[in-house]
Amino acid sequence: MEAATVKQSVKLKKMAILCASTSTIFSSSERTSFGSLKKTIPSNQSSFLGFFPVAALSKPGSVRPTTLSFSKRDFRVCCQDLSLVPENQRWMFEESEADGPDIWNNTWYPKAKDHINTEKTWYVVDATDKILGRLASTISVHIRGKNLATYTPSVDMGAFVIVVNAEKVSVSGKKRTQKLYRRHSGRPGGMKVETFNQLQQRIPERIIEHAVRGMLPKGRLGRALFNHLKVYKGPDHPHDAQKPIELPIRDKRVQKQR
Amino acid sequence: MNKKEILKLAKGFRGRAKNCIRIARERVEKALQYSYRDRRNKKRDMRSLWIQSINAGTRQHGVNYGNFMHGLMKENIQLNRKVLSEISMHEPYSFRALVDISRNAFPGNKNVVLPTRKADVSINV
Repeated sequence: MEAATVKQSVKLKKMAILCASTSTIFSSSERTSFGSLKKTIPSNQSSFLGFFPVAALSKPGSVRPTTLSFSKRDFRVCCQDLSLVPENQRWMFEESEADGPDIWNNTWYPKAKDHINTEKTWYVVDATDKILGRLASTISVHIRGKNLATYTPSVDMGAFVIVVNAEKVSVSGKKRTQKLYRRHSGRPGGMKVETFNQLQQRIPERIIEHAVRGMLPKGRLGRALFNHLKVYKGPDHPHDAQKPIELPIRDKRVQKQR
Repeated sequence: MNKKEILKLAKGFRGRAKNCIRIARERVEKALQYSYRDRRNKKRDMRSLWIQSINAGTRQHGVNYGNFMHGLMKENIQLNRKVLSEISMHEPYSFRALVDISRNAFPGNKNVVLPTRKADVSINV
């Protein structure tokens, strides 16, 4: 395993140096060819799950002089029609890429089937003795989808989060009696002020909802994301059918120190 | 002549700005200024998006973006952020290999002291 990774790093270095040298040669900003040359690394890796077979790698060395000479136009029609690619470059294209959309030369944007609501993950968190702000921060990250590599700010790619035992969430310091929640009815003199304690007696779910709403983006998408948060007072929730999993919290200080 | 061009550029605008030349002229001038500015902003925004995507991908493997890039620089891997973010999305095994390479090159500050002990902050270099 160690030998394989060392070989990997050496090969990647070689590839990187080759790429760097070719970039200086193609100094006339031929981005299509450079992008496609970069593509040779991923297509090699993807077909062999990240471990380079020596056979495939021996070819770049031999093919290098010819790739420099052939016209860059040939690369532009790649991935749609293998017949236009010269014989000695066919090894660079997988069969699966030949007729599918070109994912390496176009910006990826999530299609409708990448964010179907019924196939999103559901997480469940127990809020007992967790610090309010830290918990809300982790929840909002998961709802927004920022923990995924496919994060897109304009599309709802996040997961659903269920919070149970909302009335047992805790805060540090004197916030229990001093933290104020304000709301305004719109009329003059209509500001209503409540402390954390009073709101926890009255409507405990609102505390977590208020915290998470403040951490989600404000706007149409933010309001839609907020609907993916489900907060409940007791220890059970009606979403067993969605089979929620435990929310992974990486913050080390989220649990209240007793 | 110019009016026709302006009204053509004003398609899709709100209210009178798509129909009436006086209002459309202002809005179209603003729109062209925005598009000039945003052709430059787009490059920044895309790079920022790639960095966020790489960050998310590496954190799934326990490494954050800064340490990851430092490790790659140390190994002289010159893949740019665009390609790295695409790899993290479409080629998870290859990305895992890259993260392992980076972790071997630069283990990162594993001994991050929790802020409760304010006395000394030790960072592994």
